[in-house]
Amino acid sequence: MLEGLHLTKRYASLAAVQDVTFSLRPGQVLGCLGPNGSGKSTTVKMLTGLLEPTRGGVLFDGHNIRGDLASYRKHLGYVPEEPNLYPYLTGWEYLELIGTLRGMAKHSLEKKIDSLLELFSLHVHRHATIASYSKGMRQRILLIAALMDNPQIFIFDEPLSGLDVTSALIFKNLVQGLGQEGKLVFYCSHVLEVVEKVCSDVLILRQGKVIAQDSVENIRKILGKSLEHSFLHLVDDVDTMRVARDIVAVMSAA
Amino acid sequence: MITDLTKSWARYRQRPFTRLVRLFLARIFHGDGEAEAEGLDVSLGLALTLLALPGGFVSILLFNKYGSLLQWMQGAVKVDPIAIALPDEYFFIVLSIVVTGAVAVWRWESIFPDRRDYFNLVALPISTLTVFFANMVALLCLVGLLALDVNAASCILFPMVVGATQTRFGFFAEFAGVHALVVVLASVFTFFAVLFVLGLWMTILPQSVFKRISPYLRAFVQVCLAVLLFTSFAVPSILQRSRSSRDWIRFLPSIWFLCLCQSLRDRADPTMAALSHIALPGLGSVLVLAICVYAVGYRRYFVRIAEMTDAVPVKGRSRLGQLGKLVDRSILRTPFQRGCAHFVWKTLFRSEPHRLLLAGIGGLGVVLASQALLAAFESASPYGTISADALSIPFILAFCIIVGLRIVFEIPIELRSNWIFQLMVDAGKHECEPMARKVILLCVLPWVFLIVIPVYSYVGSRALGNWTIGILHGLMVATWSVLLTSALLLRFRKLPFTCSLPLFRQHSIVTVLGCLMGFFLFAGVTPQFESWALSDPVRMAVIVPVAALVWYVLYRIRSNTLEIDKTLVFEEAPTRAVQVLQLGD
Repeated sequence: MLEGLHLTKRYASLAAVQDVTFSLRPGQVLGCLGPNGSGKSTTVKMLTGLLEPTRGGVLFDGHNIRGDLASYRKHLGYVPEEPNLYPYLTGWEYLELIGTLRGMAKHSLEKKIDSLLELFSLHVHRHATIASYSKGMRQRILLIAALMDNPQIFIFDEPLSGLDVTSALIFKNLVQGLGQEGKLVFYCSHVLEVVEKVCSDVLILRQGKVIAQDSVENIRKILGKSLEHSFLHLVDDVDTMRVARDIVAVMSAA
Repeated sequence: MITDLTKSWARYRQRPFTRLVRLFLARIFHGDGEAEAEGLDVSLGLALTLLALPGGFVSILLFNKYGSLLQWMQGAVKVDPIAIALPDEYFFIVLSIVVTGAVAVWRWESIFPDRRDYFNLVALPISTLTVFFANMVALLCLVGLLALDVNAASCILFPMVVGATQTRFGFFAEFAGVHALVVVLASVFTFFAVLFVLGLWMTILPQSVFKRISPYLRAFVQVCLAVLLFTSFAVPSILQRSRSSRDWIRFLPSIWFLCLCQSLRDRADPTMAALSHIALPGLGSVLVLAICVYAVGYRRYFVRIAEMTDAVPVKGRSRLGQLGKLVDRSILRTPFQRGCAHFVWKTLFRSEPHRLLLAGIGGLGVVLASQALLAAFESASPYGTISADALSIPFILAFCIIVGLRIVFEIPIELRSNWIFQLMVDAGKHECEPMARKVILLCVLPWVFLIVIPVYSYVGSRALGNWTIGILHGLMVATWSVLLTSALLLRFRKLPFTCSLPLFRQHSIVTVLGCLMGFFLFAGVTPQFESWALSDPVRMAVIVPVAALVWYVLYRIRSNTLEIDKTLVFEEAPTRAVQVLQLGD
């Protein structure tokens, strides 16, 4: 089980995340929603161990991950928001680097890379440098890198950005499949309908604080209609229609 | 009046064409601004200063040669400064060609508008012809700026040095004018020649093929430039000798410009006058050809970028051979070392700034080693063994490779992408130093054992009838290389290329001085000692306690390093003047 206990991160006097607490059980797919600047990425970075919380901690199977980050990360597959990869490496070389650093055996590593590249339709381009890849192709490389060592925990931060329709559909089914396999999945996204479809539970953040945490079903039941409606109700007090009308008015003005 | 002029200038600066020219100029100097955002990016001012430095330094070093006191002490009462300036004039022409050529090769990728320019500009109401002319103007501005900057210091200092004994201002003005004209023309010629040579291949080869061979082509051009630099030691004397030996040198562009210089000074003999006639038509031809090639290349690449796909399926890959697998199994034993060492190799071979910097330091090593080789032919050891000059060659090369790699390791690449190492690598294992040491030594020890030992054994057995000299010399170079590598990697706690650039600190100057001192000890004193010791190989035993002592000192420093100074870092934090303890948290 993965737990975030009173997670707080401060940058000088500014609190990016305040007292965020949640738990993630095997088989659970927890969606994390929130507008820009709500603290989603900071929470993800604390969960991956890239950032140390100012207060609170992340526990994996009851142990604070900061005690032994290296062994925690053996169980972790992470897809970051931005596909920052080394552009002069080929797709194959990048995955080989990740696999080697993870300590995977060379033979099984090569087999896995080959199979996963084939399944993600990247096999033809495996020896081209990443610099020549489109955003979607880079995203798929990141997904393969996260999946190939069969980790226990998955943290996806906007994993669908740049993916084409087919790859996105495959990925949505994959996330559900991972849940059924008993993996722990933390899924951060802006795309509400995807979260609604693939996640069993939702954590909604606003200004660094948890404002709602429950199953998708319950949130829908309590607030009515769709998750989008519930989200807008909880997070945004902006009249979206009025803002759109104002933009058109400014555009048309002389 | 001034206000009107300022307003007109401001309006002119904001015109689309001028904005485009400025955009392209900025791109040529700063690269694409994305891939190298955190890498080796130098500001325009710094770049121009660095490019002007060699000419300035060399001019200052020549003060001795032209000083009247020194000439008087050498017994030269009446000296013709123009005659004795010939080799130096040639050197400055070559320097101008080499520096300009190196910059043209270095910035090659930024000379043409790229995919990003295309997608940013074609959506705007600007014709592709305007983009073409704007880029062309930017290119011409760059050539002008480069030619003036590279030669600025030498155009002032060199005539001052040569004319130090002359009382006539006219001499200085005339000498400076001719010198400036010739070196600037040589610079312009070189830039367009490089543009033509590389552009021609780009035009005739398919895009995918050119992309693959482009680094090798550029490396070849760099080698040619290094060879040209080397000719500056020999060509002037050849030029002053018999005519028959001049046949091959008439193909050197540097000679055309030297002959042009001599012609303008009325010092050319008939052969020189004939060669000087090639310079200007040659420059004109290269200019026209380069512009033609550029226009064709522009039409072929920029206009059709939308039709091209960046992701070209590539067949096959360079698999590790048996040797690579053996190195993996026997030397790079942990997954961390294997993964990171492969990453280091690939970065060294594929990253342009790293490759160029390493090639520059390596090139310096080759030039110094060549000079040592020439000196070795001219001098003999006073101890009846191989001369110190001959012995110093592998020391010079090893020093340049080791120090070059150590410097290059500090230059970051794609810092945004280092998250993967932050996530994967166990910061507490302290494996960076051993990994970096293995990478550096793998670049040195193989050629020491496979080339240095056999060559020096052969030389030793032919010249002195003692083949063991090769083994002793090889072991000496290897031992010193290991110790130098260990010394340079003391407190090295980062993965090469993944940490931000180190800040300039006060001890940086000490480090540079230490480097020069190290070179003197490593490649100067050690071969001298070795040359003496080889006359009686038992003397070589002296080196064992010295090496052991150095090793012990390094061991003590390493074992006394605090744990916090061993922890892996990804960012060079500035030293704070005041540290807040945050006791209240």
